Amino acid sequence: MSNYIKGLFHGLGSLLTGMKVTFKEYFTPKITEQYPENRAVLKMNERFCGELVMPHDGDGNNKCIACGLCQMACPNGSIRITSEMVTDPETGKSRKHLVKYEYDLGSCMFCHLCVNSCPHHAIEFSTNFEHAVFTRSKLVKTLNKQ
Amino acid sequence: MFDFGIITNWIHTQLTAVMSEGAAVFLECVIIGICLLLLYVVIAIIMIYMERKVCAAFQCRLGPVRVGPWGSIQVICDVFKMLTKEIITIRHSDKFLYNLAPYIVILASVMAFACIPISRGLEILDFNVGVLFFMAASSIGIVGILLAGWSSNSKYSLIGAMRSGAQMISYELSVGLSILTIVVLTDTMQFSEIVMRQADGWFIFKGHIPAVIAFVIYLIAGNAEVNRGPFDLPEAESELTAGYHTEYSGMHFGLFYVAEFVNLFIISGIAATIFLGGWMPLHIPGLDGFNAVMDAIPGFIWFFAKAFFIVWLLMWIKWTFPRLRIDQILTLEWKYLVPIGLLNLLLMVIVVVFKLHF
Amino acid sequence: MENRVDIKERMNAIEPSAVWSEAGDGMFKVPVSAFRGLAERLRNKEGFDFLRSLTGMDWGEEGLGCVYHLENTSTGENIVLSTADTDRENASLPSVHDLWKGANINEREAYDFFGIKFIGHPDLRRFFLRDDWKGYPLRKDYDPSLNPLNMENEGNEDEAPSYEMTPDGSYILKRHPLFEDQEYVINIGPQHPATHGVLRFRVSLEGETIKKLDVHSGYIHRGIEKLCETLNYPQTLGFTDRLDYLGAMQNRHALCACIEKAMGLEVSERILYIRTIMDELQRIDSHLLFIACLCQDMGALTVFFFGFRDREKILDILEQTTGGRLIQTYNTIGGVQADIHPEFVRKVKDFIKYMRPKLNEYNEIFTGNVIAQQRLKGTGVLSREDAISFGATGGTGRASGWACDVRKRHPYAMYGKVDFKEITYTEGDCFARYMVRLKEIEQSLNIIEQLIDNIPEGEYQMKVKPVIKLPEGSWYTAVEGSRGEFGVFIESHGDKSPYRMKFRSTGLPLVSCIDTISRNAKIADLIAIGGTLDYVVPDIDR
Repeated sequence: MSNYIKGLFHGLGSLLTGMKVTFKEYFTPKITEQYPENRAVLKMNERFCGELVMPHDGDGNNKCIACGLCQMACPNGSIRITSEMVTDPETGKSRKHLVKYEYDLGSCMFCHLCVNSCPHHAIEFSTNFEHAVFTRSKLVKTLNKQ
Repeated sequence: MFDFGIITNWIHTQLTAVMSEGAAVFLECVIIGICLLLLYVVIAIIMIYMERKVCAAFQCRLGPVRVGPWGSIQVICDVFKMLTKEIITIRHSDKFLYNLAPYIVILASVMAFACIPISRGLEILDFNVGVLFFMAASSIGIVGILLAGWSSNSKYSLIGAMRSGAQMISYELSVGLSILTIVVLTDTMQFSEIVMRQADGWFIFKGHIPAVIAFVIYLIAGNAEVNRGPFDLPEAESELTAGYHTEYSGMHFGLFYVAEFVNLFIISGIAATIFLGGWMPLHIPGLDGFNAVMDAIPGFIWFFAKAFFIVWLLMWIKWTFPRLRIDQILTLEWKYLVPIGLLNLLLMVIVVVFKLHF
Repeated sequence: MENRVDIKERMNAIEPSAVWSEAGDGMFKVPVSAFRGLAERLRNKEGFDFLRSLTGMDWGEEGLGCVYHLENTSTGENIVLSTADTDRENASLPSVHDLWKGANINEREAYDFFGIKFIGHPDLRRFFLRDDWKGYPLRKDYDPSLNPLNMENEGNEDEAPSYEMTPDGSYILKRHPLFEDQEYVINIGPQHPATHGVLRFRVSLEGETIKKLDVHSGYIHRGIEKLCETLNYPQTLGFTDRLDYLGAMQNRHALCACIEKAMGLEVSERILYIRTIMDELQRIDSHLLFIACLCQDMGALTVFFFGFRDREKILDILEQTTGGRLIQTYNTIGGVQADIHPEFVRKVKDFIKYMRPKLNEYNEIFTGNVIAQQRLKGTGVLSREDAISFGATGGTGRASGWACDVRKRHPYAMYGKVDFKEITYTEGDCFARYMVRLKEIEQSLNIIEQLIDNIPEGEYQMKVKPVIKLPEGSWYTAVEGSRGEFGVFIESHGDKSPYRMKFRSTGLPLVSCIDTISRNAKIADLIAIGGTLDYVVPDIDR
């Protein structure tokens, strides 16, 4: 009988302790982030991997030499490089020139192998995360400016 | 204190002036019915909005904010969404019972809702065994839930319905016992009378210890009666997906949903009526100035304030505790609430007999 | 490895036909005929009571077989056995499901992928693949064109086949019904809020009481082990994050450590520090999610949000350094992807300060709560023997009184040098499983606190050749994942891609013991049991 009463009050006590916590939380500042509204102030961490990009300098040149290492490193075949051989008119040496750098965001798993393998740091991850599109074909992006 | 009886009487005299007594009463009934359903819907919408906001606040969230100021139109939009949804018929279900079940639930809920005195002269069903009628009407809902579970031809629904049958029938007892405690104190079963007796102090103060115990038991049992957390096992979403209304869609589901919320309001409203004085303002004997100020606030505001306070209390409970298991629910009822309720009833009788109440 | 010599001598005495092969970690090759007797001897006489890993293998000419990693839990001795049947058409091995209960589902997996018939196994259905799958996909000679995309619904296999061997060497196929006609069988999953992913239980009920439970898995099986065989070593790393997504750091740590061990590469102290801290952050993250999800399963939705709120702080810290929130892609072969962020140390310290008082909040709202205690205490009791036999490591094993923490058993990275307590309980019930994890958060905070101020200077990435080739041999490395021992077994034939790569799933043993511990419990208990076992489905399915 005493156990019964003790249990009853112990139980009630534990319930009230729990209610104390939620009551405190009722008045604490809320943590919801209102995403599309806070776009202006939303800052991603600089290392966040959103998508692969190829930075271009002011004249629209990139550092890619079309060596194909990234394409080989990619486990999913997300990268396709089209290149052509160009002969330098001054030196007469022929070298590879990038025609098209295609990147399929849809099958990329952000493993960093392409970025790591690039000898010239021609590609990197950007922090853009708004990827939603209506068709899968739009996820295949051409990274170099043509 | 303003008496709404004046308005209703005036309408009645105006109507009988232009038509026969019978036609007037019929017309009045129709109007009251419409008003009741409208109020029912409005309360449901307010309750759902409140639930979403209150639960969000307990969980460190904001709740709906997009539609309308502070998300206030959100629920109305959801109602329209619900209305446009297809009502799916389930293969091998008992079509008739399947379609009937939500209406039984809503019928029970509306009937119980009609019992609540909202303000002086604003009672729809008010007669000398009002408490009994309320108990009887609200229990019809169980039938609807059992039928819903049975006719859905789904194993989840059936388990949910069985759980809810066991739970609601058990907890009816505790609800009854705690109301009975107050009936002993008031010696009336008429809701309007119960409110009037609290003019010089609410029963929770007048009946002191047994009334407080009865109040707590009533809150627990009432919470279980309407299948709300921590007693929401009939629809335990992490166990039975949605319990008895798993297979319902569109407005049929909406009816269950609305009934659940309004039932919560009804339980709170009754608690406010019998323990916290209903629409009766807070009166402290001896302080006439204070009492006059309190009287200036209309009765229905008192009633809704009290009822929504209890709703908030129950939401606080719901959003704090984990769900009980079926055997624990029955243990709680039969080993704790019922014996304590019976003892409490005895205590109240002693209090009344020896005039120990205020 | 001093005890290796000792074991070799003992093995010679026990079973002279077992051949020691030195490559890699080394293993004993046992002929099929002697295997069952040896296994019985090791289990019953020598005390090898824990089957760490059972790996199906296709050795081509040498036949189809299995690799067994055994451990003696009282002495900590390890032994690796392998056995193979050269008959590829009708490969059969004796089943060891009665010696180690954990072998039950592992053998089903090996049957599923390699078509090895385990003689005496009571329920040799496919485990991951559909019942109408043709062929055995992890065999080297498997032809994928046999199984085009199948849009038909899958039927329910209601009979469990088992094979018995007659003295003349042929098999008898027997079928046992799983459920009787009259049983009230309900499906929990694959689309069910409490299965934490796409797992399916078929549960036979009597009222609300569970009579029997049958686990169906494979709804998100991706064939990662098969995929790994076609990729080179750096490329395989990406998959580990996608196994147990709440243990991304630890999983990748295990694979990197295994490859480094095989290459003979020592990484700098800084890398070890970073990896240890990251592992512990990940563990806190996982345990917070565990608490959150358990509470949600039990109907306390508010705690769910508290858990997520606190977990967010860790994710922010991780994201700042690794660039990912769930999928970290951080550890690399011979180092880590990037050095820690300049703000990392400060933020971690802030987090420790923030987290300690929050733990008390969980205690107040959930641990002490009478409803939670009533529901969790005494339900789903897993005995210590069963925990070892099933190989249920992690918080589950420790709650049953089995000190199974890999960090203590086989210290790796910095764990040998930090001071922390291994939390064990003896009850083995849901409440103990919950408490172990809650207390482990505290221990993880302690570990991080000891390391965070002392991260030594050094490289964060060792020099590694661009093309990584492992020597011939096989290696097994285990780390303490968020929910138990996560092991990687690599067999290399000297190429730049593995010959066979097997991940010891942390969740599979947990799921295999669910039938045992949930019998005669209520449905609501099953949810609590599932919640406290804390399995993650992609880790089971791989």
